[in-house]
Amino acid sequence: MKQGNGTVPRIGVYVCHCGTNIAGNVDVKAVVDFASKLPGVVVAREYKYMCSDPGQSLIKNDIREKNLNRVIVASCSPHLHEHTFRHATLEGGQNPYLFHMVNIREQVSWVTEDKMSATEKAKALVEAAVYRVRYHEALETKEVPVNPDVLIIGGGIAGITAALTLANAGKKVYLVERDYSIGGHMAKFDKTFPTLDCASCILTPKMTAVKDHPNIHLFTYSEILEIDGYVGNFTARILKKPRYVIEDRCIGCYVCVEHCVYKTPKFPSEFDEGLGLRKPVFIPFPQAVPLIAAIDPETCIEFKSHRCKKTCQEACRDLVGRDAIDFTQREEVVEVQVGAIIVATGFKTFDARRIPEYGYGRYPNVYTSLEIERLVNSSGPTGGEIVMRDGRKPRRVGIIHCVGSRDRNFNPWCSRVCCMYSLKLAHLVRERTGAEVYNFYIDIRTPGKGYEEFYEKLMQEGVHFIRGKVAEVTDWTITPEETGKLVIRVEDSLVGVVRRIPVDMVILSVGLEPRDDAEEVRRQLNISCSSEGWFLERHPKLAPVSTFTDGIFIAGACQGPKDIPDTVAQAGAAAAEALALIDRGSVELEPNIAVIDEQKCSGCHVCIALCPYSAIAFNEEKNVAVINEALCKGCGVCVGTCPSKAITQQLFTDEELLAEIEGVLLV
Amino acid sequence: MEAIQRTVKYEADLSPQFSEEIRHLPGGETLWHCIQCGLCSASCPLSIYMDYTPRRIMAMTREGFKEEVLQSKTIWLCASCYACTVFCPQQVEITHIMYHLKQMAIREKRYPRNFPIPVLAREFSTWVRNHGRVSEFWVVFRTWRKIAIGRLLRMIPQGLKLMRLRRLPISVHSIRQRRQLKKLLAQMNGGA
Repeated sequence: MKQGNGTVPRIGVYVCHCGTNIAGNVDVKAVVDFASKLPGVVVAREYKYMCSDPGQSLIKNDIREKNLNRVIVASCSPHLHEHTFRHATLEGGQNPYLFHMVNIREQVSWVTEDKMSATEKAKALVEAAVYRVRYHEALETKEVPVNPDVLIIGGGIAGITAALTLANAGKKVYLVERDYSIGGHMAKFDKTFPTLDCASCILTPKMTAVKDHPNIHLFTYSEILEIDGYVGNFTARILKKPRYVIEDRCIGCYVCVEHCVYKTPKFPSEFDEGLGLRKPVFIPFPQAVPLIAAIDPETCIEFKSHRCKKTCQEACRDLVGRDAIDFTQREEVVEVQVGAIIVATGFKTFDARRIPEYGYGRYPNVYTSLEIERLVNSSGPTGGEIVMRDGRKPRRVGIIHCVGSRDRNFNPWCSRVCCMYSLKLAHLVRERTGAEVYNFYIDIRTPGKGYEEFYEKLMQEGVHFIRGKVAEVTDWTITPEETGKLVIRVEDSLVGVVRRIPVDMVILSVGLEPRDDAEEVRRQLNISCSSEGWFLERHPKLAPVSTFTDGIFIAGACQGPKDIPDTVAQAGAAAAEALALIDRGSVELEPNIAVIDEQKCSGCHVCIALCPYSAIAFNEEKNVAVINEALCKGCGVCVGTCPSKAITQQLFTDEELLAEIEGVLLV
Repeated sequence: MEAIQRTVKYEADLSPQFSEEIRHLPGGETLWHCIQCGLCSASCPLSIYMDYTPRRIMAMTREGFKEEVLQSKTIWLCASCYACTVFCPQQVEITHIMYHLKQMAIREKRYPRNFPIPVLAREFSTWVRNHGRVSEFWVVFRTWRKIAIGRLLRMIPQGLKLMRLRRLPISVHSIRQRRQLKKLLAQMNGGA
């Protein structure tokens, strides 16, 4: 065996029990005995929880007393505790990169059924580490300054909350919203559960605060084109799409809308879920922030034929004197520099058409819950009156829960909010129409402060609760009282019989899904998604708003279905994490980067073209490639391709890897 | 006066082996995904005639209510239309499980004796096993003889009419090499 990098290695090996997580399936004592006999190992110990304070003290004391210069901990994933043990090594008085971690939990005890073979595998991995660490060298971390500005993607309640928190702390925030107005889904709601306070009354003041805050720069009708850089130093390119109205000039006076050549609104309003109509020039809703008109080129005559009288432009110029309408406006790209990014892109609702048995799109009186939110909203298309598409008031209403949720044919997860919003809609419908309301549920899930009490209140109000997943909504009627109605066929599973329940109106409580472009956003930001498509947090319990990419945080329903209280809490947490990062002023960068040996570099340019992070430049004077340490992510592409073997990757040098392989094969 | 009955179920009355047996048959393990939503019962065209809804059969099978399940009419009313299996939000193989239960009821002779469907199924398969093809006359005759002789006698006039039109031959036709068929069927049933 080779002697390593000069110094005589004095290795300490620590094998963790992790309670019974490892010890239950690996003979820890046998691994320790084995390790103690390996060359260079001065001490080998076992401990129940190495990550605890006494566990870390073992390392620190041994470094001091036994002059250890290499440390190996065989425990869980480096994701979890590599940092912990590097820190312990540093505190003991050694360079933290002389530490190496062996994962015998996720890679051994949790995935190997037979205790014998698990123990053998643990031994092999420990031996590999013992061979590897002798090539470890003391490495220095690099400190880089952090840009104090923050980019927030998504202007729903999560983005708004995070933006205001950071702006109030004196930080400059760029808030990017894809739609014409901020507010997100919450702006569409009338009341919020369980307190039934008016969504507008609690949201619109916050939206106005965002607009008026000197520290917030708002980009609406804009999208992220590209994100570059690394923690503390990101560059974002933002695409401002043309709304054909000059933002600075428009005062939201509606004169252009009134003077449009269309005398009456003719096109379905996106904000009203298609239940209301708008003109080609419009303001999405009266409380929109910013309150600026926009022109939809898909429906505007000027864009389609170039033969419109352009009465809107004329009115804006002559009647208001603003001349804000500009049919020639083009898209614009803005570049901003930030230190941290908060992703709050939210969710979309399940498309009810995917379940044809429920008749959405086929029977006019079948609605989605989001449509009903607009219908019960006092600023909605009917002024808050609940009337059906045929103009009648419903006398019997069925609310079908779990549409698209808890269903392996669609989305297996529980969307968490549907039970409560269904109860809210049941209350509002009953209050305003006096209708008989039937809830069809699989399980009622009301785990939240005041939520169960709300459910009880609904039961006392005389709302029917029938436990069963609805098989179909049909207009095929059998009995006289079913005539002219929609019939819901369901098993009343608490009674054990199949029932047919005639109703006038059906509300489909659609579940929550990741947005269509979640995968694209994920790639732009280099963060992870769960298999369902929700953005993945670094740890489900202890790092719920961090991602695996430093400096990027997530908040709200883009991480998973959640209601407004949870979203706001998470947005606050994301803002606090971002603040903790940027207030520190600088960050340490991991030294697992590639280094070029200038003596060996032939200046062939191969690595420059291949680097996915554009981290390699060329020094014409010396005729060698140069790596920007701040941009290098340590992916190893250049190391593998360099024809002169001039590039090595710190922490993954050829010697280290070959020794590791040698060690693993020796057992 | 009608006597009241105690309906409590003691653990000793249940059969965990029964649910284990179902779990190990093809598709049986999906029963443990069931969330008792009742979509199977609601989508079933025949559930309105069943003594237990399909959802209840799933719950009872999982908990080991062997007697009730094997003696139920539900499993015999299942028309194998697969509507429940197609719609099931948990992708439980309900129709397959119904087949397993039917086979088990026949094998253990627990099926309801005066209920035509299992008797017909049994007579049908016996006749096919012995002759290689079915004879309407003999299968109908043997089925009704077992269930209700009176009903069989009332059928005589209609039967005679059919015979006169040569629609109900009494003569027995068998295929050749019936021994090979028997061997084949025995192999399919796992050598049993």
